[in-house]
Amino acid sequence: MIEELIGIVPVFATYYLVALGHGFFEKSGVLNLAIDGLFVLGATIAFALAAYTLNPWIGVIGSSIVCSLFGVFIAYVATKLPVSHGALGLSLMFLGYGLSLVVGIPVSNYVYAKALNPSTYTVPATDTVLVVLLASSILIGVVLHYVLDRTKLGAMIKASGEDPHVAEALGVDVVRTRVIAGVIGYALIGLGSAYFTLVWRSGWDPKIYLLGHGWIAFAISLAAGRQPILTMLTASLFAGLVRHQYVVQVALGLSTEIAKMLPFIVALASMTLFYVTPFKRKMASPKSLGKPYYREERTV
Amino acid sequence: MVYLVVLRRTKPLPYASILVPVISILLGVLLSSIILYLLASIPPLALFNLIVRSFTSPTVLKDTLILTLIGLSLVIAFKASIWNIGAEGQFHMGMLVATWIALFTPIASIPVLAKITCILAGAVAGALWAILAGVLRAYVGLDEVPVTLMLNYVAYYVLDVLVYGPWRGRFTYGYIRTDEIPENLWLTLIPGTTAHVEVLATVLIVGLAIWFMFKYTIVGLRLRILGSNPEFLRASGVNVKHMVVLALGLSGAIAGMVGALYLLGDTHRVSYPVEAQTAGYGYLGILVAWLSMLDVRGLPLAAYVVSSLRVTGITMQIAGLGGTAIVFLFMGSVLLTYTVAKVFSEYTIVIRR
Amino acid sequence: MSAFLSNKVFSNISKFSREVKPLVSLRGITKKFPGVVALDNVSLDIYPGEILALLGENGAGKSTLVKILYGLYTPDKGEVIVYGEKTKILSPRHAVSKGIVLVPQTPHLIDSLSVLENLIIGLREYGVFARVDLIEDRVREIALSIGIELDPRKPVATLSYTQKQLVSIIRALLLKARVLLVDEATTLLPSREKEKFYTLFRRFTEGGGSVVLITHKVVEALRVADRIAVLKSGRLVGVIDRDRARVEDVRKLMFGKTVTNNLQVRLKRTEHIDGGKRVLEVMGLWVSRWFGDYVVRGVSLSVRRGEVVGIAGIAGNGQEELVQAIVGLVKPVRGSIRLLGVDVTGKGVELTRKLGLGYIPDIPMRYGVSIDNTIEENIAALLVRGKIIKWRRVNEFTSKLIREYDVKAPHPRVPVKVLSGGNLMKVLVSRELAIARSLLVAHNPTRALDEVSARLVRRMIREKAVGEGVGVLLVSEDLDEVLELSDRILVINSGRIVGVFDANRVERERIEELMVA
Repeated sequence: MIEELIGIVPVFATYYLVALGHGFFEKSGVLNLAIDGLFVLGATIAFALAAYTLNPWIGVIGSSIVCSLFGVFIAYVATKLPVSHGALGLSLMFLGYGLSLVVGIPVSNYVYAKALNPSTYTVPATDTVLVVLLASSILIGVVLHYVLDRTKLGAMIKASGEDPHVAEALGVDVVRTRVIAGVIGYALIGLGSAYFTLVWRSGWDPKIYLLGHGWIAFAISLAAGRQPILTMLTASLFAGLVRHQYVVQVALGLSTEIAKMLPFIVALASMTLFYVTPFKRKMASPKSLGKPYYREERTV
Repeated sequence: MVYLVVLRRTKPLPYASILVPVISILLGVLLSSIILYLLASIPPLALFNLIVRSFTSPTVLKDTLILTLIGLSLVIAFKASIWNIGAEGQFHMGMLVATWIALFTPIASIPVLAKITCILAGAVAGALWAILAGVLRAYVGLDEVPVTLMLNYVAYYVLDVLVYGPWRGRFTYGYIRTDEIPENLWLTLIPGTTAHVEVLATVLIVGLAIWFMFKYTIVGLRLRILGSNPEFLRASGVNVKHMVVLALGLSGAIAGMVGALYLLGDTHRVSYPVEAQTAGYGYLGILVAWLSMLDVRGLPLAAYVVSSLRVTGITMQIAGLGGTAIVFLFMGSVLLTYTVAKVFSEYTIVIRR
Repeated sequence: MSAFLSNKVFSNISKFSREVKPLVSLRGITKKFPGVVALDNVSLDIYPGEILALLGENGAGKSTLVKILYGLYTPDKGEVIVYGEKTKILSPRHAVSKGIVLVPQTPHLIDSLSVLENLIIGLREYGVFARVDLIEDRVREIALSIGIELDPRKPVATLSYTQKQLVSIIRALLLKARVLLVDEATTLLPSREKEKFYTLFRRFTEGGGSVVLITHKVVEALRVADRIAVLKSGRLVGVIDRDRARVEDVRKLMFGKTVTNNLQVRLKRTEHIDGGKRVLEVMGLWVSRWFGDYVVRGVSLSVRRGEVVGIAGIAGNGQEELVQAIVGLVKPVRGSIRLLGVDVTGKGVELTRKLGLGYIPDIPMRYGVSIDNTIEENIAALLVRGKIIKWRRVNEFTSKLIREYDVKAPHPRVPVKVLSGGNLMKVLVSRELAIARSLLVAHNPTRALDEVSARLVRRMIREKAVGEGVGVLLVSEDLDEVLELSDRILVINSGRIVGVFDANRVERERIEELMVA
């Protein structure tokens, strides 16, 4: 039983951190459709750096840094220019897929040529490591909750997401606030995606862009109303489901493909459930989420 | 102190509908080539050379027609500000139903009727798949982007389940795939190309119909108003929920039709796992639709350019890079530059001191 | 009226002196928008210790001037001098750092955040990770000092309009403002509450600050301000000391010669309204905003053929919700609405429009037009009943409306977004007047219009009622408009109809009393 639970940790840490980062960023009003592409990119960069340096932690840090740079870019462009958040996000999604293949395939060949054992560049899944992973993820969630709920930064982020025009009139620098949210949010997405290749999967799959884990994290965040603490619950649910896909599959007598489909169906179902229940009112999306921000005129 | 100010244009930028797509394609290709040069040491000149040659490749016409159709599908939705990212799934649902009719029903043996049935059934399947997202958007309030996207994965796996299990063929030489569909269902090649007569006919019929709808019908006008101000549409006495469902339904119908056409014309069978076989037309269509500036008349040209870029990607097997990587890079960079360039068609930047 | 005028609340006004250096000076400010010159070479000084009223009609350029001072717009020409130093005010943040704070008409506050959260985000002395409740004591202290009670931990959404405006004042004090820009912030308040604000402003100026009071109410400006600056069509047409200013003179400056005293101009009435069929019947209507919170409380009213029923009231007393329920945009909780005898309660706009309802909404950009579509398309959307659009007919019709209403547009195929607010409103009003066959619901139909167009629209509404027997439900914040147009006047307050008057036996004072009671 304990082992079962321990086995969930890498999956949980990946989903939770990605969903946390995504939700935190979206709270500031930027629609984040780039998530799946940049999740894949983060996972690939973590793998590449870890394989070349044989140090997984460099991979983890590198992935966080690269992803936060993208976060800055998205936040800056989406706020400075009246662009469509949707188009911007999707373009970066595709760019993320493309970049990760360009980066990943040679590294994958390199790993193959050198016959590198995954244990030389991934994080060893010892109990201690997993406990630290779990504790640190939860701690990050609690800290984010505190920031959003109790601090000036949290108020600034929420204000920018609710109504950037009013926020600006109240004295908030919306661009700066969203960039901060982008840096923090995407650093967490990078962290989570690094855990994907370095802890959960222990390796890189050239079909990584077809897996859609970023979208699952998107649904995890949405179904929890982007609340850090509640996200813990939805992330655990999905982590359990995905980790024990095989168990579920056998128990229900499903084929592999149906089991692969299951997370997406559950994701759709849980988003729907969230929306038809009073939760939607209680934890509504930021009012200006995804709306182009144009201040009638402003300085660049 | 000098600073820049973003101002809304009082008059639209002249020739914006041509300038914006052209500039974004050029800058996008440039961006991709820089990325490819830095990360994969692919010399830009060789890349440009390949791109130029792709424009006259004999295989471009086929993709152009198919992408024009997908573009039409997405223009309907996008004009209504319904961001249907699920053409890929709707395409596969259309393919699924067409496969079923072709392989497992007696209709398949009736000459002309069989083709038409497959195509129309594909349209219905695509429409229903899209309407699923439409209902969630209209009646539950769920954003259609994540929903249509996740439904793509579900569609892949549904088809996988069938191909892997009950639909696996007898004559497949160890591959996991269905049997070939009967030859009388295959589409007719346009001589000298890889494109098909029936697809061309569909492009013309559907294209004209949709152009007419947007220009001369009240439904078309309402869809456009849905795209710019749904609250006004509601206050003018139109059921906005129905319009949302309609936009997705029409969009999905065309995407589903393309799925059926692709089966009848190109693959003639479905192979496992489908998600690895797909040409990603559903995603490429997004790029086509946007590059056309959501103008039906601009679609063929946009489709032609995107097809050529796709052909470039496929012929590029250098440096161990799959074609997919390059196609994604092109798509991402062109979409990115387009998104930014489009701002300048509506806004202008003024220097103040 | 005269008693009202002579009622000098503040007799001991500290005279500002010309020797004192101005806090803020505007020099030759010019600002152009597409098609209009919003401000034309405006120069103005704001001295410490004074309340300066900035008067002008709608569209005279008052708001533009304020937005320039608050860093929301940058001027095309001219300079702003703050405390003797030439300054470009780049953003509200920048304005605030210079001690210039805006108190707008629509509160600039975020509803879902607490009062404390709304306040701390503008305070530069706190770092980003500062706890929100660090400022609680200070806020409570300031609230107490200006004599209001509120729990600053509560979300702004739970506050009343007056409380929200007071929060904006607290914000100004918290930010140590020296120049307070009050943009119609007191216009919508009941008179007793207004006095409270004026006392606060006076106390503020006694402390050396200055208040710029932007308003279009002449009488009020004369009563409260030390100096009055009048804007007309973007130009500063006069600055008068309060002692020397007379209502008539200021009015003349504001409106020019075209309008003298247009109040109480009665238009032709429909005869024998009493015999007419009831077009609209509303019975015991209750509408809630969120669950449980009723904003319309048991309203009953009826409109007959050819009758104009005016609803007078201060904004935010349930008018918007009442109108939306009648049109079919929101579902009432209880009660019934019948249009031409058909029960339309909660059945949506499709049905009411089919029954010939015309609707001039309060928020035209939201419910009235689609700004990305052309004028022609905005007309066709409601005019065309068949499936196919005959553009030639739509074009002819649109051109006719453009001529009749003098809409300033190059041709009917330009997108509505290039039109100015007034012209946009004309497109909308002309269309709704053209399509209304049974009932016209008009909510502030002339708000964005200049005086001449406003009169045209009022005349057209009247003609529609008299000539075609259409019933009109006029909801307006402008009491003069209600008095001028209506056959019957209902007064709404806190979601209830608190008075019914016949237009022939109207007592203005009584209506005003009921509006604020």
